[in-house]
Amino acid sequence: MSYLSLSNITKQFGDTVVVDDFSLDVEKGEFVSFLGPSGCGKTTTLRMVAGFEMPTAGRITLDGADITEKAPNQRNVGMIFQSYALFPNMTVAQNIGFGLGVRKEPKEMISQRVEEMISLINLENHANKYPYQLSGGQQQRVSLARALAIHPQVLLLDEPLSALDAKIRVSLRAEIRAIQKKLGITAIFVTHDQEEALSISDRIVVMNAGLMEQVGTPFEIYNFPQTQFVANFVGSLNTANAEVSDPVKGLLNVDGVQFITASDIKSRKKGDAIRVSVRPERFSFAFEEKKENVLDCTIENITFLGSVVRIQVKIGEAKFNMDTFNNPFLDLPKIGSKEQVTCSREAVLVLDE
Amino acid sequence: MSFLSRLRRVPFWSWIWFLVGALYFILPLFATFEFSLTWDPAIPFKAYQRSFADNKFWETFIYSNVLAVATIIFSIVLIVPTAYWIRLRLPQARRIVEFITLMPFVVPAIILVFGLIRIYSTPFSIPFTDIVFMQPLTNFKAGTNILIVSGYMVLAMPYMYRSVDTGMRTVDIRTLTEAAQSLGANWFVIISRVILPNIRSALLSGALLTFAIVVGEVTLASFLGVNAFGPYLFLLGQHRAYEPAALSFFSFLLTWLAMGLIQLVSGGQGQAAGAH
Repeated sequence: MSYLSLSNITKQFGDTVVVDDFSLDVEKGEFVSFLGPSGCGKTTTLRMVAGFEMPTAGRITLDGADITEKAPNQRNVGMIFQSYALFPNMTVAQNIGFGLGVRKEPKEMISQRVEEMISLINLENHANKYPYQLSGGQQQRVSLARALAIHPQVLLLDEPLSALDAKIRVSLRAEIRAIQKKLGITAIFVTHDQEEALSISDRIVVMNAGLMEQVGTPFEIYNFPQTQFVANFVGSLNTANAEVSDPVKGLLNVDGVQFITASDIKSRKKGDAIRVSVRPERFSFAFEEKKENVLDCTIENITFLGSVVRIQVKIGEAKFNMDTFNNPFLDLPKIGSKEQVTCSREAVLVLDE
Repeated sequence: MSFLSRLRRVPFWSWIWFLVGALYFILPLFATFEFSLTWDPAIPFKAYQRSFADNKFWETFIYSNVLAVATIIFSIVLIVPTAYWIRLRLPQARRIVEFITLMPFVVPAIILVFGLIRIYSTPFSIPFTDIVFMQPLTNFKAGTNILIVSGYMVLAMPYMYRSVDTGMRTVDIRTLTEAAQSLGANWFVIISRVILPNIRSALLSGALLTFAIVVGEVTLASFLGVNAFGPYLFLLGQHRAYEPAALSFFSFLLTWLAMGLIQLVSGGQGQAAGAH
């Protein structure tokens, strides 16, 4: 039996179904991210694990115990909020020791644990400071220490990095992951930032409109998306209308240009209208190396994105983006020139809507 | 930028309006103070000496202070959990509660006191029986005290509720509550250790406004027949000239002291709460 189990969880607010028949098993020590756009139900699901929302249907078990009906203060679950939620009237040390004080732990034990937590987050010189005297990143680290001080069975992180600037976000997420691994704590992380989810998680749950779209490792989610939504939401994606030419051989017609795909389209009939998707980085110029799909194109636009150069090409009447790594000696084609681009048959995805 | 150079940057007309406003408030106060000193040129503070020497003054003043403290305590007990629960769980009820808290501005104190007397001056009996389970509240002193404190709570409600509600708006009550809950805190711990300390400046503002209302209140105290400071000052004003002026100035000093206290305490909280 898994450590944390959500079985057929549904949450309704009035007539609106916010989370619909959501089931997930999380193993002990696993780091799982809920990824999705605003309003997809990821935070509501997290809040149901925390006990702040009660599921309309379904059960939640933690380490074999049913916690569905338990009050939030009876669950032993640590929570980190986007807005840090540090108590403004307490110092860093008092914030961290709050949960232990509530549990009526002995004073020596509390001060020892507070010290331990402060050194874990490297804020040794800030123990007596108030939250307003700390930066956003430091406040969030205190919030992490406060949640961990009570030895929670699960750590819940509700978009903890969203309020921070880009650099701090990257360093703090690495710090959170390192601490989670070191302590072996089970964690659920809510985010709408795909890069964050891909970089930090053991598994990602992609959610859309209250439904679970796909669960998998970051590698699976990015490289083998099962639905159009997942492919679109995680990473950049080219999509185009196509017509099935030969379902057995996997041939497709995109605006008069023939593509070959490795996706299984045997169940489709010749002439069926479908959508094909290709990630921009799966295209390359054919003069470098030819793959199964070699396509004549016209260069439409070139955009410099720092480490990546995005080239827009027109294949038939359809427009596709192609990403190539930047280097100082990159020989870029001219806009309007005729070129050939190539991609493997595995790169051409036919996904469920 | 130094304080003086910042002062110099204030536009000329702003200064004029500030001075007009200041004079409007300061002149009557100065006149009252000046008048209170003119009773006996040989003893400038004679009016103050006489006032403070009067046992009735201390009796009524202390009694009104006790009523004020009781009103503040019961108002906090009633209003803090109410405002907290509305912010946390019943935001849709806010308009109704705000309307109710505005009622004391619409219904005059005289109506309120007549209502109280009308209802609580008859014995409470079980309907359709002769069994009386409570004597009229107006018949005994403790009952009258309960009535007057309840009436003061109504009068102070707009100020207390708004102060507390504004205080709660400045801190993220919902998230702080959830953070405390996730750490194992129960409702008592959350309110006493997280909510109250973070709205203490708002509480103090509400408490001091309540104090000012109660100490100077005349209508309820007169009609309920209690020896409070308001009616005493009113009576004194009808029969004497200098003592009421001295006591009015004394009341102003007390109010200023209270405002100074607010500044002191809210300044401290400003630091603790920081940029939140």
